[in-house]
Amino acid sequence: MTSAQPSSSIGSFLHRNDFLVRRLHSLSGLVPVGAYMTVHLLVNASILNGAAAFQKNVNAIHDLGAILPVVEWTFIFLPIIFHAVVGIWIASSGKSNTAQYSFTGNRRYSMQRLTGYLAFIFIFVHVFHLHGWFHAQWWLSNVAEPLGMAQFRPYSAASTLAAAMTGFVWPIFYAAGIIACCYHLANGIWTAGITWGVWLTPAAQKRATVACTVFGVALTVVGLSALGGVKTTNIKEAEAVETAIYESRVQTGEIKPNEHKRAGDHHEPKLPVPEIGQVIEAAPISGNN
Amino acid sequence: MIAATPEVAKERRKPQKINVRILRQDAPGKPQYWERHQVDYEPDMNVISVLQKVAAQSKTSDGSAVAPVSWDCGCLEEVCGSCTMVINGRVRQSCSALVDRLLEQAPEEIELRPMNKFPVVRDLMVDRSRLFRALQRVKAWVPVDGYYDMGAGPKISRDDQERDYPLSQCMSCGCCLDACPQFTKIELQRQPNESEDDLKKRRNEAYDEGFVGPHAISQAMLFNSNPVGKNMADERLEALMAPGGIQACGNAQNCVSVCPKQIPLTTSIARAGRAVTVYALKKIFDR
Repeated sequence: MTSAQPSSSIGSFLHRNDFLVRRLHSLSGLVPVGAYMTVHLLVNASILNGAAAFQKNVNAIHDLGAILPVVEWTFIFLPIIFHAVVGIWIASSGKSNTAQYSFTGNRRYSMQRLTGYLAFIFIFVHVFHLHGWFHAQWWLSNVAEPLGMAQFRPYSAASTLAAAMTGFVWPIFYAAGIIACCYHLANGIWTAGITWGVWLTPAAQKRATVACTVFGVALTVVGLSALGGVKTTNIKEAEAVETAIYESRVQTGEIKPNEHKRAGDHHEPKLPVPEIGQVIEAAPISGNN
Repeated sequence: MIAATPEVAKERRKPQKINVRILRQDAPGKPQYWERHQVDYEPDMNVISVLQKVAAQSKTSDGSAVAPVSWDCGCLEEVCGSCTMVINGRVRQSCSALVDRLLEQAPEEIELRPMNKFPVVRDLMVDRSRLFRALQRVKAWVPVDGYYDMGAGPKISRDDQERDYPLSQCMSCGCCLDACPQFTKIELQRQPNESEDDLKKRRNEAYDEGFVGPHAISQAMLFNSNPVGKNMADERLEALMAPGGIQACGNAQNCVSVCPKQIPLTTSIARAGRAVTVYALKKIFDR
């Protein structure tokens, strides 16, 4: 069915490749974004076992070393950006009518779009807040750190995380973000099952709803427990544990000394702004971005 | 309820007059406005008979004379779909909307609006040509032509019959489209010096960009199951993958909730999703 196309804009490109773009959007929501989010929340929850257990998991991620930025941009950041941009285009293509038709399915449709917008805001702020988005020095010292962003240090994982979550504004923001993301993923798995033709009949879709609900609730519990784990972390004790791990790893030659991946007060005093961490090497943070 | 006989209970509910609020529009592109009418109650009325009374008196409830309200209807037995409108906020056929039931839900008045997603021709009459254009897009027919005897057709298994018969009950009323949040209104105005044919062409081009809709997806599945209709299965799947095809579905599932024929539209949508998944993979790997 060929027809006159609006000549310009990204919207026209998206519309012409409607099927491919929307199927890639569905796929990217499951893999890698959904799969990554599940692993991410599970790793975070290991903080409930203490700063050492959490540090061990973060170390495992950062042992990827120089390849880590490639991994995080290819499998995490770019797919999330794609999913978000196409998602906004999709959401703007419909017009919610829950006021007229308050069926459960219709409310889920609206919730999926609402949680999508919330997740979009949450993830972009969250990555900026803890990871900083880019680890180029000029970006960190001129933009991210003056704004109080890029808070996480991979070799001081639990302590920098706990320091970033003091007060109640950030924890509430994170709790809301986690709940929105978990709903969006769980309900998204259900809609993807229809999109790809996995569950066909109303009975099968009902069973899938039950399974997705169980998954979504479980993942929310995991995510919120991780947040609780961060809030109950004693920063001083965590720092002591992290220093011990760091020093032993440096001693055994497992890692090279890298003060920029540690909390601020370990920096050499000659640095111009000693309390601000400076991550210059091509090995930025991923475990808790 | 137990004390009163059914007749007495019915008697008690019976009002003298029925209030009707109608969303009117004088012509395409003109503003819509509400108008109140009042008609005498009679037992066993439907919305069509209310509208007949409204048109006959052509007078609002405050007594001013107005042009008769226009509406569309045909079969009066819920099989043609032409009298579809939004009654008390829900899209349905006015012939099968019984006044006694409506008054049980909302005794003070009956609210009538034209369908939301189709261009209004006048008052409660809409132009549903996009609905039929969508059926053309997915080639919702069996390709048999000619007058010669083609002999007995292939046997259709009982299971297939049971799956397909409900889909064949679609009367193209457009309820599913009106309730669908992904199906948005497309309305073009005639430009100065534009001929009827040019407008129709421009309109069809605009319709072909829009979402094809659950009714067409379901009909594509019906004819793809038909032993003869199967011959065009790939063409239908291509149409479903074109811009505005099945991928525009947002899984709100309002279509199946409002369908007056209880057609399993969401099952058809999921089946179509599976069919295009397989077809797309074939297109990539079989060439």
